[in-house]
Amino acid sequence: MESRKPRKINSKWGLIAANFLGLLPLGVLVWAFWRNQLGFNPVETALQRTGQIAVVFLLISLACTPIRRLFKWPILIKLRKIFGLYAALYAFTHFAVFAIWDYGLNLPLLWMEIQEKPFIFLGLTALIILLVLAATSFRYWQKKLGKGWRTLHRLVYVAAILILVHYFLAVKGDIFSLQGDYGAPLVAAIILVLLFLLRFPFIYRPL
Amino acid sequence: MNHEKSYSVPINPNEITPKHIYQTRRQFLKQMGVVGITALLASCAPNVGVPTDGPGLAPDEDLADNLTTYEAITGYCNFYEFTTNKEQVDENAQDFVTSPWSVMVDGMVENPKAFTMEEILANYTQEERIYRMRCVEGWSMVIPWVGFPLHQLLEDVVPTAEAKYVLFEAALVPDQMEGANSGLFPFPYLEGLRLDEAMHDLTILATGLYGESLPPQNGAPIRLVVPWKYGFKSIKSIVRISLVPDQPPTLWNTIAPQEYGFYANVNPNVDHPRWSQAERRIGETGRCETLFMNGYAEEVLSLYEGMNLTENF
Repeated sequence: MESRKPRKINSKWGLIAANFLGLLPLGVLVWAFWRNQLGFNPVETALQRTGQIAVVFLLISLACTPIRRLFKWPILIKLRKIFGLYAALYAFTHFAVFAIWDYGLNLPLLWMEIQEKPFIFLGLTALIILLVLAATSFRYWQKKLGKGWRTLHRLVYVAAILILVHYFLAVKGDIFSLQGDYGAPLVAAIILVLLFLLRFPFIYRPL
Repeated sequence: MNHEKSYSVPINPNEITPKHIYQTRRQFLKQMGVVGITALLASCAPNVGVPTDGPGLAPDEDLADNLTTYEAITGYCNFYEFTTNKEQVDENAQDFVTSPWSVMVDGMVENPKAFTMEEILANYTQEERIYRMRCVEGWSMVIPWVGFPLHQLLEDVVPTAEAKYVLFEAALVPDQMEGANSGLFPFPYLEGLRLDEAMHDLTILATGLYGESLPPQNGAPIRLVVPWKYGFKSIKSIVRISLVPDQPPTLWNTIAPQEYGFYANVNPNVDHPRWSQAERRIGETGRCETLFMNGYAEEVLSLYEGMNLTENF
């Protein structure tokens, strides 16, 4: 009983901090856009930054479960959802920059690019998954879908893999020989593999 | 700008260029009839000047492009030996030592020779060439280079009959290039041209831009510019030019041959798995049509007679 009160305060501040963290990059981006500080190729900068931020929030969201298990922080189950929602938000912003700002909603051209370029198709598929998960992340759907909800939300692993492939294909180089501009996606991939491994009981139990 | 470098370029294009540069007149072209759909795209640059014999003059009075600003040209570059961050290259390259410098020209030539930069600037008349630069990443610029046709230098060393290709090698100075040690790229940067491409009058060795010596991030002190090919062919900070009998290995073609062909001619009809064939002109908004051979087809198409340019991309 006594432990409940501090935990509640803890959780309230945790939620505030998570939302602050979630909105901060958007604020920085909008501010930079406003002040004309997105560099010489602002569309490219905005595309890269929103994509990278989406990856970071997705990884943070996926880190919540293993960390909660290891350190027994129950609040992380709530933060998992919040960070997941921000990952979806930035992924959507990423797409909006691509479709609206970059291609001026030129639908025939967009359709052509989606068909021609596998990495765009993969990214779009991942975005749709994230949006479905975001839409069904609320208690109403959790109750309504029952056991199916868990299964549905496991699709986040599929989305994460698609996004990483999308990231690797989006940088210059050859994915098979790993010769190219692979620094950032490589770091993301290593973290993702680690987070996947930490989900296997035979790995996290001994920890 | 610093005019006290040892080989400042003796031309002031600021007096020449502005009158040729008119407001961009966007021309909307019906184009891209893919899967039966017609997409609308503006043309970036229908008429950027093709050089004449005289220095710095474009023949066509109907120029339709604005020069990209000096700040953008020098602040947004690909030079992976320094960093893969295009807007960080200028800072990382500032301490790159470009003087003294010499370019070894060897291989299948009668008179192999190491040219010092002083010799190059003294022996070859520097002229202004305003070229479009189209990066394979899908962005483009209009750049007033200062330089001279490569064929002048090649003629002086006299290629032998066996010489069929030209191999270019860029400087690799790891302790001055912090991006050179990542292990992710097989440096030194190499590029190549077929001999007839290298001898074409549009192909220049550039030593300056906007009337100034090249800053290090743009490939000081001397670089290649081949305006009808994607930017990665225009190798920077050249230390060696070798005439060779066979098609030489080039960096991007070695890494990912399925994406970066040896020819790498700008060709909107060859899809790229990553980048759009509609380009962004730096400093402008929206995307516009990419021109076949970057708009220089009339001048260079005869080089490729009888070749399938989709297979030989």
